[in-house]
Amino acid sequence: MNRREEAVPGPNSAKDKTMATEAAKAKPEATPQAVPADPAYLKIRDLIYRVSGIYQPEEKLYLLVSRCARRMSAVSAKTPSEYLEHLTTLGNREAELRLLLNEITIGETYMFRSPPQLEALRTVVLPQVMETKRAMGFKRLRFWSAGCSTGEEPYTLAMFLLEESEKLLAGWSFDILATDLNDNALQAAMAGVYGDYALRHTTEVLRRKYFKVHDEKRLEVTDQLKSHVRFDRVNLSDDSRMLFLKGMDVIFCCNVLIYFDLASKRRVVQHFYSNLLSNGYLFLGPAESLFQVNDTFRLVHFPGTTGYWKAPANSPAGGKP
Amino acid sequence: MNAEKCQQLQTQIKTLDSIYTAPMILQPLLELLRQPAEEISFEKVTKLVSCDSAIAAQCLRLANSPLFGCRQVETVRSAIMALGLQKVRSVLFGLCMNQILPKDKWVFQPTAFWRHSLGCALVTQRMAQRIGYAEPEKAYLAGLLHDLGVMANSLLYTADFRKCLQLAGERRQPLHLCEEEILGFTHCESGKLLAEHWRLPADLCEVVCAHHDVQLAHTAQPLVCLTHLGDLLCRVRYLGYGYDEVLGVELGGELAWKTLVGNYPALSNMDLQRFTLDIDGAMDQIVATVDAVFGTETAAARV
Repeated sequence: MNRREEAVPGPNSAKDKTMATEAAKAKPEATPQAVPADPAYLKIRDLIYRVSGIYQPEEKLYLLVSRCARRMSAVSAKTPSEYLEHLTTLGNREAELRLLLNEITIGETYMFRSPPQLEALRTVVLPQVMETKRAMGFKRLRFWSAGCSTGEEPYTLAMFLLEESEKLLAGWSFDILATDLNDNALQAAMAGVYGDYALRHTTEVLRRKYFKVHDEKRLEVTDQLKSHVRFDRVNLSDDSRMLFLKGMDVIFCCNVLIYFDLASKRRVVQHFYSNLLSNGYLFLGPAESLFQVNDTFRLVHFPGTTGYWKAPANSPAGGKP
Repeated sequence: MNAEKCQQLQTQIKTLDSIYTAPMILQPLLELLRQPAEEISFEKVTKLVSCDSAIAAQCLRLANSPLFGCRQVETVRSAIMALGLQKVRSVLFGLCMNQILPKDKWVFQPTAFWRHSLGCALVTQRMAQRIGYAEPEKAYLAGLLHDLGVMANSLLYTADFRKCLQLAGERRQPLHLCEEEILGFTHCESGKLLAEHWRLPADLCEVVCAHHDVQLAHTAQPLVCLTHLGDLLCRVRYLGYGYDEVLGVELGGELAWKTLVGNYPALSNMDLQRFTLDIDGAMDQIVATVDAVFGTETAAARV
């Protein structure tokens, strides 16, 4: 099959292209052809994976090289081995690791960032969830964007669901809960004002339908779209809060867990599991993994993406999603 | 497939030799595919590649491509050394099949077909290595050859097979379901007959036959299961047959997975998400290899 990325941006494509472009600017030799010879980068890659769950395959290590290059110059580390010391042994290693993680995930916040996730929703996830809900006598779906940052993810979801309201979702209603810990991010999300970067993959048709002109360079989400998203401040580590967010059908939590230590990560993911209804799904960022974090969710592969499925309690291992 | 259809298919496969003009290297190549990798002599392969100037040129081009660091490779011998025996066998097989199947008989886009075959070869081999399967080289060949039946169907039933692909694309279904409906048999069955006709090793014949239904495997169960999972993983990573299938696959729930776990406990501890991301990383290389070898080949054939 022709790779989706050639026609429509895939989960990694747009990000990768951005990263590749930036890589080229930051360091001309950091290109896909020039495989970084220094094994210290592999150690940095493995460290990041161990700590955050974000993984870069060897063939795409050049992206990591360019991200490290910025931090290396900031801390005046001359070699990747020297920088590895900043991440592992020096006093400020935790702060440095966080700064590197910020570099790695920078530029991932824009509308329609992951078309394969939306396609998985349309073709497999929603039909399955709707069947479960129908059997319960409900015709309302609940989504949660956990760690919604400045709102691009929940608004994308709202647009996608509204576009499906006459087709797949005819006769159904939905609500989207969007939460974040950061008040500034939440305020920006509620304002719903976006520039070219956030809208670069939003078609003209959707821009006209769901946005109004805010100023010369920016568009603002219409009140109609805003009405489908409820924003709230939630700390995912706050167990008492997490206990009251039940009844979800699909949860999105993109590049948020990477900042949690293993124990907190396990707790948060277990809350997600409890808060999902049977047959519900958890979607993470494109390069994130729950390996050794949680083994109650079942990993499901969709074209170009993966999701974590909460199988019904009576489903034998291997019950089809 | 009913007995009459089976008989008809068998007869058709036997007549294949008179339908296509087999490239000179086909028989010695099949011999190479039958042999275990460690028994293949380097000299023999060099001689074989040198026999066919088009194939020799492709090997040289690939060895000189950025994939292999743009070295200055000038002889067939050094090209084979640069590529490695495994890649050379894939290139030989691919080019040979491209010569057998005339361009008007290709139902799939050739590049899509080779991306799937080479992708499946690589994924199956990597998974084999990861779980400690004794013959990862064999796993590579299994992935490369598993869809041999697609070649047979393209050659023997071009128009109807085209309908199968079209229907599968419209319904976004797996191809073999539509083959069953329209042809009355699948590429697994026709492929098995062709593999037997070419006297491929029994385990590879079983892979060709059972890669969509691992319960049919008897003697080469692990190899069939590995190929089944490799095929599925390719299809969820945009290395399918040129159309979007509706797929949501819990690999851990597949019978192939459960069968393998029994024999290879390492599989149950495998970080499948990381493995998938590794495949994503390798996809560019697969696409580049196919385009370097087959893209230009098919472009040249069209001229």
